[in-house]
Amino acid sequence: MGEEIKYSEEELISRLKEREQQAFSYLYDHYAGALNGIICRMVEDPQLAEDILQEAFLKVWNNFAQYDSSKGRLFTWMINITRNLTIDTLRSKGYKKQRQISKDENSVSNYHDKNFGADQFDTIGLHKQVANLKPEQRSIIDLAYFNGYTQEEISKEMGIPLGTVKTRMRAAIVELRKMLEFS
Amino acid sequence: MNTKDIISSGLLELFVLGMTNAQETAQVSEMAALYPEVLAEIRAIEMSLQSYAMLHAVQPATHIKKTIFSRLSATNEQKTNPVVPVVSISPFWKYAAAASVILLVGSIVMNVNYYRSLEISKSEKQQIEQQLLAQERVNDEMKNNLSIIQSKYSEPVSLHGLQAAPDAAAKIFWMKNTGEVYIDPSNLPEAPEGMQYQLWGIVDGKPVDGGLILKTKKDNKYRILKMKSFGKAEAFAVTLETAGGNPTPKGDMYVMGKM
Repeated sequence: MGEEIKYSEEELISRLKEREQQAFSYLYDHYAGALNGIICRMVEDPQLAEDILQEAFLKVWNNFAQYDSSKGRLFTWMINITRNLTIDTLRSKGYKKQRQISKDENSVSNYHDKNFGADQFDTIGLHKQVANLKPEQRSIIDLAYFNGYTQEEISKEMGIPLGTVKTRMRAAIVELRKMLEFS
Repeated sequence: MNTKDIISSGLLELFVLGMTNAQETAQVSEMAALYPEVLAEIRAIEMSLQSYAMLHAVQPATHIKKTIFSRLSATNEQKTNPVVPVVSISPFWKYAAAASVILLVGSIVMNVNYYRSLEISKSEKQQIEQQLLAQERVNDEMKNNLSIIQSKYSEPVSLHGLQAAPDAAAKIFWMKNTGEVYIDPSNLPEAPEGMQYQLWGIVDGKPVDGGLILKTKKDNKYRILKMKSFGKAEAFAVTLETAGGNPTPKGDMYVMGKM
């Protein structure tokens, strides 16, 4: 796949504003996997997950004029669209907000040993890079970023006071940045 | 809140995660616009979360991309055409008859809409073609002008404004190989009603008629013009004469320049 082309974020954005399908193809090749990853965390039904991925990309394409690069990076915008779309879709179908593997891990104690059922994603490589993140730090990031939990929901799920969600999130992401060298 | 406080508060992390309320979002956006260090912090948070998401990527099935792209063009086409509701037809004849009337009406509506959008596209196409043609003419003219200016044989002579119009200016391009004379009169003031500019070459100390400087018919402006040729000239001047010009200069001299 188009390995010879490499767009900078700025160039990609301006080409998408010009509605270039080639740029959209590039966008898909680079980000579909990451967006699909979060959908698959929330949606068990593979057909429904596919539908949501399609809708998310169509939404990105159709609403691209609304994207404002001064408000955030392109990926941040796309993941917000994808997460909200997934939550709305699940809600409209009567699902509650949930993680994909939820049957056997309702209790707080579970995320210490089960890592919130994220194990299936934790195959080979990730894993070294963020392996040193404490389980509860990973959980707080994952609940918010991949599952769209609100502060209240995180507080309930993890059994921590509502007032500490913000500072714990900060601490967890600071740790993540150190590991990924974005500090 | 100062920048250090906002950075350490965790609010920026919540902002990137889409967890802030409208008021907090506005606050963070404002701080980010004002303080580069806040913006840099937000970008670093975004980058780290983006990489984190990449690490968790799950490649979708290959057919999905195709489906999305086929729907891309489909949604583009649909924009101008309303979706007609599907009518279910009952087995009874009277319902069938009613349904066919509805379908007919629907089809007429669609036809009218198609026709209208076709007409719109036609007139848009015409408009664009005209614009293109006009643009091509402008391009040709510019290419011509440029070739005069860029020619290795062209010797430019600046004509400077005199008392009658100190701000006026003009440029002569004298082609050394052919002796052709071009003038760029675009910086001359508008000639008054009933008057026209005339170019003179000063040859052996005497003015020789170089022709009238006319505006283009197309946009009524002074553009680069080809004038009469002189064998050689020591200087050039432009005077304002009665319309049609004069055999010898009678009016005020506007610009002048020596070779």
